[in-house]
Amino acid sequence: MQLDHRRPKEGPVPPTLLIVDDDPINRAILEQIFAPHYTIEQAEDGQEGLEKILAQPDRLCAVLLDVLMPGLDGIQVLRRMQAEGLPAKLPVFLITADARDSVMKEAYQLGVMDVISKPVVPYIVLRRVQSVVELFQARRQLSCVVESQQADLLAQAEQIIRLGRGMIEALATAIEFRSQESGGHVRRIHDITKYMLAHTDLGQGLTPEQIDEIALASIMHDVGKIAVPDAILNKPGKLTPEEFQIMKSHTIQGAALLERIPQLKEQGAYRYACDIARHHHERWDGSGYPDGLKGDAISIWSQIVSLADVYDALSCKRVYKDAFPREQVLEMIRSGACGTFNPKLLDRFFAVEDELSKLYQNGCDL
Amino acid sequence: MDQMQKEAFAAAGVDIDSALERCLGNEVLLCRFYAKFLEDPNYAKLQTALAARDPAGAVQAAHTLKGVCGNLSMTALFPLFARQVESLRAGDWDTADQLMEQISCAYGQVTKTIRQLLDHA
Repeated sequence: MQLDHRRPKEGPVPPTLLIVDDDPINRAILEQIFAPHYTIEQAEDGQEGLEKILAQPDRLCAVLLDVLMPGLDGIQVLRRMQAEGLPAKLPVFLITADARDSVMKEAYQLGVMDVISKPVVPYIVLRRVQSVVELFQARRQLSCVVESQQADLLAQAEQIIRLGRGMIEALATAIEFRSQESGGHVRRIHDITKYMLAHTDLGQGLTPEQIDEIALASIMHDVGKIAVPDAILNKPGKLTPEEFQIMKSHTIQGAALLERIPQLKEQGAYRYACDIARHHHERWDGSGYPDGLKGDAISIWSQIVSLADVYDALSCKRVYKDAFPREQVLEMIRSGACGTFNPKLLDRFFAVEDELSKLYQNGCDL
Repeated sequence: MDQMQKEAFAAAGVDIDSALERCLGNEVLLCRFYAKFLEDPNYAKLQTALAARDPAGAVQAAHTLKGVCGNLSMTALFPLFARQVESLRAGDWDTADQLMEQISCAYGQVTKTIRQLLDHA
């Protein structure tokens, strides 16, 4: 009769079982018992066994460990494994002819799964080891399933958030198109607002999440223009006082429109969006509209968007004007030609303007 | 393995059926184990350690022999080595030493039977 390991001929590679025993007969008997069910690895003493375990514990499904061995004994191997937190993940079976109470007690304290006495009875040792290996595998699979389900849920949540942002950007860009501008304006307002909050002390006290919410809200600053007739919105020349009154109403209309989108109210950006839409034409000295707010009564995010809006309008061509060169833009802002701004805001703006000007390197349409 | 050989093993204190079962009925493997038993240096080590009154060496050799005898279902030798290991661990040198008389007798019978089996094969 040939030595027959009866490995399964097809299917996936069976999991690996490590036998650590100094006695070749013991190893051969255990190999004979387990080879039909597992890929077998062997170690001839505790040191070799420990090295094989620590090298790659995840590839093993169980360890059969002798106690009395020259050099490192089974209990010492267990202690090292416990120091690495391994017995909780990798079941260890003590196979021993030395089942004294003191040995058993220490072994169980060290996290051993079972103590099986030698000489072994094949069907008993096989069943005891198989049951535990299956339990550990089922546990591992279950935690994998839970993890992948969590990842799926997270991905879905992110997709919903992206969709919401996409809708907001689409709405803002649609309005830009009506004023015969590209989507570049809202994108630049977003970037300038975010940059100034994140890179200067104007953003002090705001979390990175809040800064993202404000930047998203800044995109919606002009949504109220949807209520302004094309004839006024796209009029190349100067507006009459009546026309200007209607134009100015885009601030109040914008805030009112945003308040009517119930889904938006659940977003962190909502309160910033309403505030910015209403107040991005207020001025530091109280000369702005619609409420004539003055100084710190205007939120810092509305102040930043006001300045960004002026900076962008001056730097780009509009239906009513040509683009100004950068030097002139900065001079007009400094001199108050477009209204008075908070001196601290201007100071921080000029400090980072070099960086902001890069947004215009390739023109205003991109 | 024929009935006569099995009876010879039984007479020498070897439960051949239980040993075969442990090897999942693999006679070739079992015969290889018995051949190994003949070459096992631990019996000589045990004798040397006892003569030299070396308890550590003796307990190591006796423990290993106990394990091998257990695996090979040597029902006569196994309890003798088990008692010897216990005595040595308890520091009872005299009992451990005196057990050698019975052990060598049983060991002689077992090795003789194994040699006959291997010669026959």
